[in-house]
Amino acid sequence: MSTTQTAPAAGRIDPAGQRETPRPVARRRRIDWRKNGEIALLSGPAILIFLTFVIFPVFLAAFYGFFKWDGIGALEWNGLQNYVWILEDPEFREAVGHNFGIVIASIVLQGPLAILFALVMNQKIKGRSFIRIMIFVPYVISEVVVGLAWSMLMQDTGAINQLFGLDISWLSDPNIAFWSLMIIITWKYIGFAVILMLAGMQSIPEELYEAAAIDGASFWKMQWSITLPLLGPTIRIWAFLSIIGSLQLFDLVFIVWGRIAPSAGVHTMAFYMYTEGHLSGEYGFGSAVAVLLFLISLIVGLVYQRFVLRRDIDGALTDAPAKDAK
Amino acid sequence: MSVRKAWAAGAAVAAVATLALTGCTTSTAPTNGGDKGGDGEASVLTIWQNSTTGPGQAYWRDATAAFTEEHPEVTFKIEDIQNEQMDGKLQTAVQSKDMPDIFMARGGGKLADVVKAGLVKDLTDLVSDDVMADYGDAPFAAFSVEGKIYGVPTAVLPGGVFYSKDLFEQAGITETPTTIDELNDAVAKLKDAGIDPIAVGAKDAWPAAHWYYWFALRSCDKDTLLDIATTKDFSDPCWLDAAEQLEEFIGTEPFNKGFLTTPAQSVANSSAGLIANHKAAMEVMGGWDVGVIADLTPDKKPLPDLGWFPFPAVDGGKGDPAAMMGGVDGFSCSVDSPSSCEDFLNFIASPEWQGKYATAYSSLPASAEAQKAVEGDVEKTFLAAYQESPYMSMWLDTLLGQNIGTALNDGVVKMFAGDGSAQAVIDDVSKAAERD
Amino acid sequence: MSLETSLAITPVNKRTRKPKEYVKWGSPGVYLAAIILVTVCITPVLYVIIGGFRDNAQFTTDPAGFPNPWNPANYINVLTGSNFWPALINSVVVGLGTALGTVALGLMASYVMARYNFTGKTQMYSLFAAGLMFPATVAITPLYIMVRALGLTNTHIGLILPQIAFALPTTIIILVPFLKAIPMELEEAAAIDGTGRLGFFFRMVLPLSLPGVITTGILAFVGSWNGYLLPLFLLGSDKYTLPLAVQNAATSQYASDAAMILAYTSLSMLPALIFFSLFERRIVGGLTGAVKG
Repeated sequence: MSTTQTAPAAGRIDPAGQRETPRPVARRRRIDWRKNGEIALLSGPAILIFLTFVIFPVFLAAFYGFFKWDGIGALEWNGLQNYVWILEDPEFREAVGHNFGIVIASIVLQGPLAILFALVMNQKIKGRSFIRIMIFVPYVISEVVVGLAWSMLMQDTGAINQLFGLDISWLSDPNIAFWSLMIIITWKYIGFAVILMLAGMQSIPEELYEAAAIDGASFWKMQWSITLPLLGPTIRIWAFLSIIGSLQLFDLVFIVWGRIAPSAGVHTMAFYMYTEGHLSGEYGFGSAVAVLLFLISLIVGLVYQRFVLRRDIDGALTDAPAKDAK
Repeated sequence: MSVRKAWAAGAAVAAVATLALTGCTTSTAPTNGGDKGGDGEASVLTIWQNSTTGPGQAYWRDATAAFTEEHPEVTFKIEDIQNEQMDGKLQTAVQSKDMPDIFMARGGGKLADVVKAGLVKDLTDLVSDDVMADYGDAPFAAFSVEGKIYGVPTAVLPGGVFYSKDLFEQAGITETPTTIDELNDAVAKLKDAGIDPIAVGAKDAWPAAHWYYWFALRSCDKDTLLDIATTKDFSDPCWLDAAEQLEEFIGTEPFNKGFLTTPAQSVANSSAGLIANHKAAMEVMGGWDVGVIADLTPDKKPLPDLGWFPFPAVDGGKGDPAAMMGGVDGFSCSVDSPSSCEDFLNFIASPEWQGKYATAYSSLPASAEAQKAVEGDVEKTFLAAYQESPYMSMWLDTLLGQNIGTALNDGVVKMFAGDGSAQAVIDDVSKAAERD
Repeated sequence: MSLETSLAITPVNKRTRKPKEYVKWGSPGVYLAAIILVTVCITPVLYVIIGGFRDNAQFTTDPAGFPNPWNPANYINVLTGSNFWPALINSVVVGLGTALGTVALGLMASYVMARYNFTGKTQMYSLFAAGLMFPATVAITPLYIMVRALGLTNTHIGLILPQIAFALPTTIIILVPFLKAIPMELEEAAAIDGTGRLGFFFRMVLPLSLPGVITTGILAFVGSWNGYLLPLFLLGSDKYTLPLAVQNAATSQYASDAAMILAYTSLSMLPALIFFSLFERRIVGGLTGAVKG
């Protein structure tokens, strides 16, 4: 065997029978093709459909925000005037305040309750399937029906007042109406939170609990030390969805309160968009409100991503590189 | 290509596509308009009407069948669209320039908008002479834009105060009120008898707003009121005066318990439902209320003791106490529809089919001939008032158009909730008028 | 090593599942909490169901009372009426289509974002997350124009595709962390075995992410089932889904029959509930013991 000074050419097996020396450039190019192909294949359909039916209409709608348009006639350029009007309107600012109140109250009320219930549901006890189905029922019912039922229950002359002999204006008293709204929201969406928490709990290995049990930990200690921390990502995701949902709330408010919502102190940004936009035949104005709603959600989302979800997703909405890049 | 460039390219594509799409919405074959045929050729007319159950729905089946018998080359495709959804669907149709041949219209600002978009057929010369003679000019006023007619009325729905004769008797009220003071007395008597005096569906805004419309109709002189759609000027003191008088009236607390969350007519605990079940004595409403109340009574038959009286005269009002206000329902043809469209509209405007429409919809026909055949006692009362009234206005929110109309409705609701003053109502409306 | 690892992490399926756990009675405290919870959740629903047995007048005179008399006429009318069953079928078709499509597309896209590394990954995720933040109600008109331009109005697929699109953000947001949680070691083991990323996807990822998949599937189905706005604008009355058909059946020109609506919606709830109860076991039963070390 002669010693050669030149490196063996790529792919060729060295006379000594050593494995080929990989030529980095060639190997990387081959992997890139395959990888990009897979990426395109897997994510392509979703992206295509999303662009066509969400992104494109959204851009178009945002475009209308710079115009005055009654939905029928021609578009009239209005520049930023719509936005000025919105930001000047005290009713819009009140709406923003209500939305953020709902955001906070939803998380505070639903979060701990949902985790608690999920813990209960996760136990292998008899009847747990039945209980789980019952809890999810409110979520399955459409908002129209939920609104109808609760408005009939909470009317001044409704079932709740009649059953308990009360005389409370659940819906029209501005001091109470917000909490009535929170009752309805919690009732409807607790099932969603519970189901997410349950799903998250499934990823926690049994062995951890078994080991802790051997060590003599009590049920609650186990939940505190094992379940809660490992449920972290799920909780953070749920909170994110809850926040965005709270910011966009419309149906329940409109169905239960109707046009009284502002006087009752429960109107939201989306409600404002509907009454000032669609009902008033001012589609440019409505689109502008939608854009503002979007921007607010976006900022909240960005802040949330940056400070809370950093460790779960690779800095998704910011460009910050992930700590544990995969 | 770097990611950033990709985004820029994508945005450019989106922008171009936007312009292209808004330009070529007519490139695909229309789906709402039926097949076009010339005279005597086969054509399919699409109808969008607002009755999804019962006699109203059946009326359209019958009418179209009868027309096809006489004109075999014309067939129909009927879309039953629920009342609340009609506006939204029509609007989408307008935006995509894909109109149904025959569609329900209520006149006023909304119709004017569609006319401006050039999508409604001018019927001025196409309405048959018989129909014109029968109807007179009044019902067509609601469907006229700049002197031309764009729709054929099918029902007139004048408004006023509906009340329960039994409950009035129970409270010892012997005569229906003719002035607001007398109305206040009646309210007091009803309260003493333990009856909720007045039902109002404030949750939907417009029932509360109707109170304002009536106060305004009575307070403002004829021209100021009827011209408001063009002048959009609320500086005349009569508008504020009406609001203040209403505010005072609200202060006497004449309404049903929980009126703020009472809907108008859709469910059992609505204001109409309260009247139907003798839980409240009076309601300010339009002519359709007879049918709505009939639906909500325990036996689903018309309320036997239902009565009607015109809205009372207002202190110092410059409007005629006999003036009426109401809505007009009708149908229009799309600009692309075949000539069978106006033929069909003339067909259903005949006294025979007008009479059937009135029965099916529990409303007053627009045809004077058919009006003679109206039977119900309550209907006869407000029919007489309608025929004798010196002038009739459309509901103010229809008259003012969506933007100002909605602002007006919301402002009045706030006043009902104690959340705004009379001046605030005028301010809100003026602000909306500025933006128009 | 590779062979042993592959065997050790065979996805859980019926043949290798642990014997059914002994299901015991829980403590009374748990049941008390459960009873309270279930009562609160169910009572308004029972109000709806029982309300269907009344008629309109009863509601006004006695809001909280029981039907007097029990009047099955509404339920019977709905079941024998001509618009319930077609609407039911429409809802089922659209619901299943949306759920399957959302899960399939969402899972594939989430997989890409969770486990590949490429430029534009964060932008892709942002794209989907941002779509969540724009209220659908405003985009409805341009969306209608788009669907019409594609010639898909009044078709099932014309409704399913936009619904999938609107359901994708939530799906992806939920699935990405699930998929991220699958350890790299499994992927490396699969790579050494020569299965490559796609094989890994089908043989390992799918079964392991089943709880997340089922969850998003249920959410997508329920969302479609109750959807009102999109079907209203994109469908003609011959293809109406249940929420729209309710309005038509129970609402005359100006008024609506509350009791009929309650009866109708009670019956409409059932399929969605059945769908959920079929699958809810799988959320819990999927993963125990599957992933070792």
